[in-house]
Amino acid sequence: MKTRAVVAGAAALTMALGLTACGGDSGGSGDKNTLKLVAADYGDKKSNASKLYWQEVVKDFRKEHKDIKVDVQVINWNEIDKQVKTMIQSGNVPDLLQTGGYADKVADDLLYKADEVTSAKTRANIVDSFNKAGEVDGTQYGIPWTSSTRVLFYNKDVFEKAGIKEPPKTWDEVAEAAEKIKKSKAAETPYALPLGPEETQGETMIWELGNGGGFTDAKGAYTLDSKQNVETFTWLKDNLVKPGLTYANPATTDRKTAFADFAAGKAGMLNGHPTLVQMAKAGKVDYGVATIPGKNGPLKSTLGVADWMMAFKDGGKKDAIKKFLDFTYSKKMLKFNEMYNFPPVTEDAVQQMRSSGEHKDLEPFFEELPNAKFYPLGDPAWDVVSAEMKKTGGKAVTENPRQVLGDLQKKAEDAAKNK
Amino acid sequence: MSLKAPPSPDPETAGSRARGGRSSRPVRRPRGGGLARLGPLPWIAPVLLLILAVVVYPIVELVRTSFLNISIAGIIRGSAGTDKYRKLFDETDFGHVLVWTVLWTVVVVAVTMLLSLGLAQLFNQRFPGRRITRWALIAPWAASVLMTATGFKWMLNQTAGVLNTVLLDLGLIDKSRDWLGSPGTAWPWMMFVAVFVSLPFTTYTLLAGLQTVPKDVYEAARIDGASGWQTYRGITLPLLRPAFLVGVVINLINVFNSFPVIWAMTQGGPGSDTATTTVFMYKLKETDIAESAAMSVVNFAMVVVLVLIFLKVSRWNEED
Repeated sequence: MKTRAVVAGAAALTMALGLTACGGDSGGSGDKNTLKLVAADYGDKKSNASKLYWQEVVKDFRKEHKDIKVDVQVINWNEIDKQVKTMIQSGNVPDLLQTGGYADKVADDLLYKADEVTSAKTRANIVDSFNKAGEVDGTQYGIPWTSSTRVLFYNKDVFEKAGIKEPPKTWDEVAEAAEKIKKSKAAETPYALPLGPEETQGETMIWELGNGGGFTDAKGAYTLDSKQNVETFTWLKDNLVKPGLTYANPATTDRKTAFADFAAGKAGMLNGHPTLVQMAKAGKVDYGVATIPGKNGPLKSTLGVADWMMAFKDGGKKDAIKKFLDFTYSKKMLKFNEMYNFPPVTEDAVQQMRSSGEHKDLEPFFEELPNAKFYPLGDPAWDVVSAEMKKTGGKAVTENPRQVLGDLQKKAEDAAKNK
Repeated sequence: MSLKAPPSPDPETAGSRARGGRSSRPVRRPRGGGLARLGPLPWIAPVLLLILAVVVYPIVELVRTSFLNISIAGIIRGSAGTDKYRKLFDETDFGHVLVWTVLWTVVVVAVTMLLSLGLAQLFNQRFPGRRITRWALIAPWAASVLMTATGFKWMLNQTAGVLNTVLLDLGLIDKSRDWLGSPGTAWPWMMFVAVFVSLPFTTYTLLAGLQTVPKDVYEAARIDGASGWQTYRGITLPLLRPAFLVGVVINLINVFNSFPVIWAMTQGGPGSDTATTTVFMYKLKETDIAESAAMSVVNFAMVVVLVLIFLKVSRWNEED
């Protein structure tokens, strides 16, 4: 009896300790020669999952560096930020992370500087403007991974059926073309406007750029509710949403829905990035591309998006990380960008892709690249601001734009104060 | 906990233990000495430890987190005092999220209880196929709530949903509608699903209650010439009270905390227009984990208050 009670008590105690220990560090450190890499999934189906890409990279890397092991964890875009946050909170920090933003981690002093974990040769090979975008206060932390720009996609069959001669250049022409598509019933959704949580900030910035607006002023202070921005959303609300020329609820419609609709021939036009090229081809949609229309003419600079690679200091595995990054950036970039049809960030891959003649469909994106405008990526508060926009930004086209944007501006100012 | 309830060792044993040092007289429970002094503790200790680990510890941690300043990357930057609570109460959406949480809870629980009363009554009758229908009722309960909600989400989908297709084919609507896209139509649908998944448990609770009502009471009522409705109000309902109360309390807590239905169907969007406090708490996590913890603490307090008020109003103890 006595022993049994003691055993039970001990068992419960172990369990209790085990439970509380769950929060402690269960990974992260470990042995110096095992790298933990967390990466986003760019694939949209099993056959092009990013996991396949990374498996190959690791396999080839191991041929040259037998002593270094790399554990890869690929997470989809909707989950990666949350999961990484949980990893950091629980002390289970990855050694390498490839995702959409880096600056918030700089604010907490979690990252190696770029020059600590890459060779000069690797950095010189990366397009300069991207290296610049990886800087926080003049020091580079973010290592560019891939880039893309946005252009207007339109369905040629739909345009023909609706009697539209050429792609719209101004906002009024967008509304006019959408009206024609609606009248002729050429497509279910004349203009696909995805302002859902997936990428609210992207669509928002594209439209705001069209009216001389944007997220920050020249000094980097947030101007989310500037006169131009409120005007932009008021226009969208009155000219696209209210007349039923786009989704009834843009605030809950994600980009992936819009892309899928376009690839299924259900949408007349939308702003898209290179992934849509492949999707449209797979859906046998005869599409055309044009520079995104602004209020009074095509955008001079479109939205450029870059994704990032970053290295965490926590595990202290600087040397192994450097070997892995130098290997990947010198040998495996082309493979990645060909797999997903993205414009590369390294000079040699850009040249190879442009000269091979196999990527003609990427030309429009390459052309927009030099003038592309980025999010305020180097601002540590940006990640909070962007998350807030994803939550409520889309409501600006159905509710009062001034109020919704004003609310966001307040939150952005708070975030900037606490960064 | 009934720490003092079990009988303490009888006086003789206690005495023998006290004198144990100087007397070699055989004691009645020679091996129970050390443990007996601890009373029932060794037996309930595992449970106590478990409660400490899985109930008390997380609550302590939750409250602690709500007073911390945590960066978006997840690093603790020191104390935040009551800042996070102030930030939470200042949220533009906080007011209407609270209102909707109350509405959501009241409507879903009320409708569930009413329908379940009827269903339980029905299933208490003898009719052919009763066994099968009783089994069928378990289906929504047996299926994962998340699966059910996801299923409904797709049925309500604007372009591919079966509901739009049917309504279009019947000519009831002229353009397919985005049912979950705006709060006006999303709330009723989510409430419908929440009721749907709450029915089985509630009905079975009430059914069990109904079966404890003795037959002779009904017989007596019939002899006295009571009408069906009189019998129901005068006999069935009062005797069903314990089961009914259990159903209400458990549903209140369940529905108030209900997360999967809303998260699977709308993620609380657009903005926080279709969020209850539980979903709102989850959404806050994306921007500020400490503020989210503050919301959790408020939630926790609300559940405790809710249950206390309810027990008071229904004079729970009197029934016991």
